[in-house]
Amino acid sequence: MNPVQSDNAIKAAARASVTIGRPADELRTLWLDPGTQSRIWTHFAEVNPLDGRTAEWLARGPAGGEYRWRSEAVEVGPDEIRWSSLDGADVPNTGQLIFRPAPGDRGTELHLEVRFDPPGGVIGEAVSKLFHIVPGEIVRHALYKFRALALTGEIPTTDPQPAARKGGADR
Amino acid sequence: MRALCWNGVNDLRVETVADPAILNPKDVILKVRLSTTCGSDLHLIDGLIPTMREGDVLGHEFMGEIVDVGREVTKVKRGDRVVVPSFIACGQCWYCQHDLYSLCDTSHPKPELQEPLLGYPTAGIYAYSHAFGGYAGSHAEYVRVPFADTDCFVVPDGLADEDALFISDAAPTGFMGADFCNIQRGDLVAVWGCGGVGLMAQQGAMILGAERVIAIDQYPERLAKAEAFGAIPLDFTKVDVIDALKELTGGRGPDACIDAVGMEAAGTGLQHAYDRVKQALYMETDRGTALRQAMLAVRKGGTLSILGVYGLMDKFPLGLLMNKGVTVRTAQQHGQAYVPRLLEHALRGELTPAALATHRFSLEDSPTGYHMFKHKEDGCVRAVFAP
Repeated sequence: MNPVQSDNAIKAAARASVTIGRPADELRTLWLDPGTQSRIWTHFAEVNPLDGRTAEWLARGPAGGEYRWRSEAVEVGPDEIRWSSLDGADVPNTGQLIFRPAPGDRGTELHLEVRFDPPGGVIGEAVSKLFHIVPGEIVRHALYKFRALALTGEIPTTDPQPAARKGGADR
Repeated sequence: MRALCWNGVNDLRVETVADPAILNPKDVILKVRLSTTCGSDLHLIDGLIPTMREGDVLGHEFMGEIVDVGREVTKVKRGDRVVVPSFIACGQCWYCQHDLYSLCDTSHPKPELQEPLLGYPTAGIYAYSHAFGGYAGSHAEYVRVPFADTDCFVVPDGLADEDALFISDAAPTGFMGADFCNIQRGDLVAVWGCGGVGLMAQQGAMILGAERVIAIDQYPERLAKAEAFGAIPLDFTKVDVIDALKELTGGRGPDACIDAVGMEAAGTGLQHAYDRVKQALYMETDRGTALRQAMLAVRKGGTLSILGVYGLMDKFPLGLLMNKGVTVRTAQQHGQAYVPRLLEHALRGELTPAALATHRFSLEDSPTGYHMFKHKEDGCVRAVFAP
């Protein structure tokens, strides 16, 4: 294996884990709810679900860059959900979410990994530059939002709120 | 509405901003009745915390009346007079269910700003920089309160606004610090700091059964308040605190020491903030001294309860704690765990939080209030704003 390529491949893969005090089947149902997907990736992309298995993604980069792809679930099992972008994606990518029981009364562990294959080669930095967000943050924040949604039914926000800027409100 | 806004270092102005709106179904909007200053605000104001943004509305210790409710709010209702802890907690996550509310897993909307510093995001807090969530504060006519059924506590009739106000933060923080001491019969508790939190820690230790409470500070008017509460005052500028404590405890040392001073200048622990504190060395030295003194004074096998807000302190004599077998307890306030009993204590007159409210201002005059509070003019313990 070429060590340089290996390093770059790791940079382009983003992983994060959270533990949520709910059973796996309930969390899986919530994850697969099309409305959920459109709410938990907002820091990264607009996700428009087409049906239970496919969705359209639009990620905006700095300086007006727009990157689109369509994703499709390729496997939905009791402990694992996998999806992949379809042919023609501006930034090909795959995702995998694994559910594992957490110890004691702690509920369920969610392990999320998304791999990006930006045009021009697999380079982690390219992902950051394309989307203006580091890959790790893309998945971590999505999992945090999902955890909040699963536990409280809402996602924390301060947008918009009073502030002495931009005409009196922070957006 | 009108609100007190931070516009840069020591630049506070009351400005006209948009009214807050209900953003999530468990939110309420409060018409603020009273809101107060906190020592930890001073470091935001002094610009020691880099994730403040010009225009942020200040204030995290408050009470008021509910004027609008989200569609999923069931326990509290429009018209309720309520007090709200400064940390925002969902009541549903593992931390909230274990009474560790300031560590709530779900209330921080900007975890990416905080996680690199602490390893994990904490609960969000009102007006305590964007690294702590960036929620708009309470020095305003109205404030949005998320998770209202968990975070709004109805103030019983017969309890004054001024008493309820400090049950938002100073009282639960101080009481939690005393609770950390696991006070047993005959225990002596020493408290460094006679500001709002220190005074409430002293009353908390008394309520929890301390034999004696010793209050350490340098400001006569604050020591007088501690003495009025029943504590033994010690002026650290006039006596050798370690010697005095040994004498007061028959050579044993206090069973528990509570640090209610802190090194708040280091704020959130951001390196930038710490560097600036290092430049202002007198602050670091002064404030770190209180904690080191408490570590030296506490008896062997005793408890050190840390309430002062610390950042990165790189000269911490760990061996002192290890060799003496000291138990260290610390946290930001888990207020929701304490507010119900504190309202009861206040109603019975065992806790007298209103004594902290030394100066009262309109919201329009709040910059003057902060000036007096910061410089401890005219014996100011806390400045209270009535919008």
